[in-house]
Amino acid sequence: MSHTPFILASYLISTAVLLWAALAPVFNKRGLLQQLKARQARMDKTQ
Amino acid sequence: MNQEKSSVSLSGVFFALLRRDLLLAFRRRTELLFPVIFLLVVVSLFPLGIGPGPQLLARIAPGVIWIAALLATVISLDGLFRSDFEDGTLEQFVISGHPLTLISLAKICAHWLVAGLPIVLLCPLLALWMNLPVESLGVLMLTLALGTPVLSLIGSIGVGLTISLKRGGQLLSLLVFPLYVPILIIATAAVMAASDGLPYTQFLGLLTAGLITSVTLAPFAAAAALKISLS
Amino acid sequence: MTTETAIKNKPRKNALVMFIHKMGSPPWFYNFSGKLVPWLWAIFCSLAAWALYLGLFKAPADYLQGESFRIMYLHVPSAWMSMMIYTSMAIMGFIALVWRIRIVEVLAMCSAPVGAAFTLVALASGSLWGRPTWGTYWVWDARLTSELVLLFLYLGVIGLYNAIDEPRKAARAACLLAIVGAVNLPIIHYSVKWWNTLHQGSSIGTSGNSIHPSMLWPLLYMAIAFKLYYGANLLSRARLKLLKQDHRKRWVQDLLAKENQ
Repeated sequence: MSHTPFILASYLISTAVLLWAALAPVFNKRGLLQQLKARQARMDKTQ
Repeated sequence: MNQEKSSVSLSGVFFALLRRDLLLAFRRRTELLFPVIFLLVVVSLFPLGIGPGPQLLARIAPGVIWIAALLATVISLDGLFRSDFEDGTLEQFVISGHPLTLISLAKICAHWLVAGLPIVLLCPLLALWMNLPVESLGVLMLTLALGTPVLSLIGSIGVGLTISLKRGGQLLSLLVFPLYVPILIIATAAVMAASDGLPYTQFLGLLTAGLITSVTLAPFAAAAALKISLS
Repeated sequence: MTTETAIKNKPRKNALVMFIHKMGSPPWFYNFSGKLVPWLWAIFCSLAAWALYLGLFKAPADYLQGESFRIMYLHVPSAWMSMMIYTSMAIMGFIALVWRIRIVEVLAMCSAPVGAAFTLVALASGSLWGRPTWGTYWVWDARLTSELVLLFLYLGVIGLYNAIDEPRKAARAACLLAIVGAVNLPIIHYSVKWWNTLHQGSSIGTSGNSIHPSMLWPLLYMAIAFKLYYGANLLSRARLKLLKQDHRKRWVQDLLAKENQ
């Protein structure tokens, strides 16, 4: 039985999980900054 | 306010609380039966699901009975602090000046007497259903007697942490089951060793050590958890 | 004593103590870690690339296992990281509970998802390693079972933290849970290990024998690389959480204003 698909699969899954864990804060931060800017814009409008 | 020395001794506090909780539990006698019925139903589901083959049942009996005991304990754990939390008595306990650790220990003892002891007493019936060999029945009862208090003790920490949540009960099982793994492993190993005629006293020793450790340490953690939840 | 001599005789503060003290302030921590994070990522990427090159292409195939042992370069370091992160989470949790330092609470809570990710990697890679070597995808061997229980412990901490509304109370509760889990972790680990030998007879160890240096060095490099990954990921998550928690405070408003320019 060839071992290559298993090696490949494990490296792919691991890269995917670690990449997702590393990028999640980046995307969340962009979303948060957008939210905060929108909120700030609304507050500036009312004042 | 709490400057003067309390007129009640520590053991007075402990027994007063124990009596109070037992009294409250026995006022709702039907509610005492729920975990018991749950235990009986769960154990009877296994033969129904797996098939009545006596040898297979005998082999899985210790695990099944112990897992059912775990599930029944977790179900009954939520009531440990819940009613006191809801009517504000728990906060009164915290500010009462008596050690919250002792109060927790008293409530856990009451909980075990009401929820854990029935499991130990029902054990012969469950062993009969699961076709457990008679030689290991005594060991099974002993492991349950030593282990169910530990389940109550460790579970109380989880209850303390989740008491302020609305769906605390669901999260409680997730929190507490990984901590139950060692007890499950050692207890079932003891019973299986007894079934095979092998020495089992070392497992009972480990369970006893676990019980002593839990009795001394768990109430502190439960008290800390309650203080965090009530803050 | 005149003011001048008093000032001259004032004891000099230890630089390390000052540094740790400053790190407790959210804006200072945010700025400092912001400078640190890109470096950590850069060193992680280069070290991991080098380690994987050595491990995948330069190391020879294993005598017993063939090529599949190369999964070890993922499985073993991630398993080590999953344990190390839980330990550091518990230590930070202890410091946070006793000294009530908010930054430490934030760091402890941000460690949990990273640790859970490493545990997932360890489980997946272990499972895929098991198929060619032992024949099945899942086997209840001591390491995999311990990792599974560890994953449940992580999920419990994350779940409890997300279930409580008030952030500081949630962090304190989850920290207490992490400490309780950490105390139980050695017990769980040894009981599972022993349970496994009980039921499986001979141990299915992979590295009971001495390991060849050309196989060992990539493993150690990967272990160090993963620690850098943890540092970078933890700091970026902590920065995000501080922004979220402090979004009403002055330093965040100033930061946003500066970014808008």
